[in-house]
Amino acid sequence: MIEVHGLTRRYGDFTAVEDVSFSIGSGEILGMLGPNGAGKTTTIRMITGFLPPSAGRVSIAGIDLEERSVEARRQIGYLPENVALYTEMRVREYLAYRARLEGLSGKAAADAIERSIERCLLADVRHQIIGTLSKGYRQRVGLATAILHDPAVLILDEPTVGLDPKQIIAIRELIRELGLERTLLLSTHILPEVELLCQRVVIIDRGRIIAQGTPEGLRQQWLGRTAVTVTIKEAPPDAAELLRAVEGVDGVAADGAPNGPVRFSLECAHGRDPRETIFRLAVERGWVLLELAQAKASLEDIFVRLTTREGEEDGGAAPNAAASDGSGAGIAASANGAAR
Amino acid sequence: MRGILVIFGRELRAYFFSPLAYAVLASFLFVNGITFATLIGYLNDAPSAVGAPMEFFFGGTILFWLALGFVGPILPMRLLSEERRSGSLEILMTAPVTETQVVLGKYLAALAFYLVLWAPTVLYAVIVASYSELDWGPLASAYLGVLGIGSLFLAAGLFASGISRNQIVAALVGFALVFALFILGLLEFLVNDEGARQVLGYLNLIQHMEDFSKGIVDTRRLVYYASATAFLLFLTSRTLHANKWR
Repeated sequence: MIEVHGLTRRYGDFTAVEDVSFSIGSGEILGMLGPNGAGKTTTIRMITGFLPPSAGRVSIAGIDLEERSVEARRQIGYLPENVALYTEMRVREYLAYRARLEGLSGKAAADAIERSIERCLLADVRHQIIGTLSKGYRQRVGLATAILHDPAVLILDEPTVGLDPKQIIAIRELIRELGLERTLLLSTHILPEVELLCQRVVIIDRGRIIAQGTPEGLRQQWLGRTAVTVTIKEAPPDAAELLRAVEGVDGVAADGAPNGPVRFSLECAHGRDPRETIFRLAVERGWVLLELAQAKASLEDIFVRLTTREGEEDGGAAPNAAASDGSGAGIAASANGAAR
Repeated sequence: MRGILVIFGRELRAYFFSPLAYAVLASFLFVNGITFATLIGYLNDAPSAVGAPMEFFFGGTILFWLALGFVGPILPMRLLSEERRSGSLEILMTAPVTETQVVLGKYLAALAFYLVLWAPTVLYAVIVASYSELDWGPLASAYLGVLGIGSLFLAAGLFASGISRNQIVAALVGFALVFALFILGLLEFLVNDEGARQVLGYLNLIQHMEDFSKGIVDTRRLVYYASATAFLLFLTSRTLHANKWR
């Protein structure tokens, strides 16, 4: 649905985005992740036709953005990072203006406006002047504008920035719903958002794509297998064997003195969390559990590792890196290699 | 075409919702009202020159130019600079409209409001006609001049708005441009080169208005307004495009 090839954008000597290529299939939700200033907004502006690229091509639903710009833009619903609306207009009036701008008229326009208002929960404020609305409502008006013409492609740039937690949840819910029927490109630096919403992730740093894949795939690629640590007070000799038999556990390593607490490190198949089974097993057998912990890497860890630059490792990123298990050190090093 | 109309409609409505537009409307009418009243008083004085009041009104006083010189840059100053400052330009330019449509829609809205400013002055003519003879032909050609020169000034103002982020800067740049267009014709009296003098003479807007108010319509002047306006509007649409490259 969206094809981006070799997208590059320079401002004088400064290269904001360099050779970015990816594609988004029909109906897919792609998350674009990156620290502030990584080039996400620049990339998105090039995809929406607001900024012409210095090099590279974009096509939307098979329509080349440069050659048939207006047609391609018709396919896109866009919520920019800065949702600037005409503040003197009323909500419905503004939506009506946008509907006409998108080429809708008469009943089609009226229906589209009503649908958008309903979809984005704007019924209460439809007659309110936009300038008097809160940021959350304005965001929703922006979103209503983006879906007015029922575009095949929806592009949202940091849709939840500056909202309060309740509004964030509402907007995410809405995005998830909208994503069911559309191709969606979502840019954010908030990781749970990506984990929650996206099927695929592109991580951008300093204008380049440094990793892409499914959240699971990225985990696999960058962090290997998940591990669970179990410490049992006075573990019986057959404990290791029983733990080994738990579904999802691939390997067990024991460490500890006989008659004392024994620490078992379990290697688990991907995406498996055997902790509940282990707990039940312990209850059944009467084991005293001193520790039951999962060292599972989140996207956050991957993100931090990928975007941590040399020399910063001891600084800001360190607490985050320490939060995951210790096995990451080697990966962090290789990730840095990749980032360069 | 449709895109132009949609943007035109929105911008024209926006004028009627903005206090600035009413301030301009009020002061414009105030200045014109004073001009008109003074002229009537002057022409009613026995020893003064004999003349048609509407002719004087359009071509005979500097107040006309003062009003026009301010209105030209001020009416369009917000149209593009404000979109750029607030960031709404991004939502506008990612909609399926071209730069030309945006510029033309906004320009026509400014032009329409400009005509609204002038509309009440028709009353002056009606007043004059009810007390004395009024020649409607020269009046019509005077309004043609008002339209022509107004379009040119507004295009200059819109161009200024296109190159700034700030309304006030846009107004100042616009004022400089309008002043330049105005002064260009007056240079006629300051150059010695015969060729240059002749060319500049063609651009003397004061002379133009004087003739228009007497009922003289020189199509070359209309062509000048139209082509200069078109050129300025073209430049404005390029600024929208060029802005992307910054």
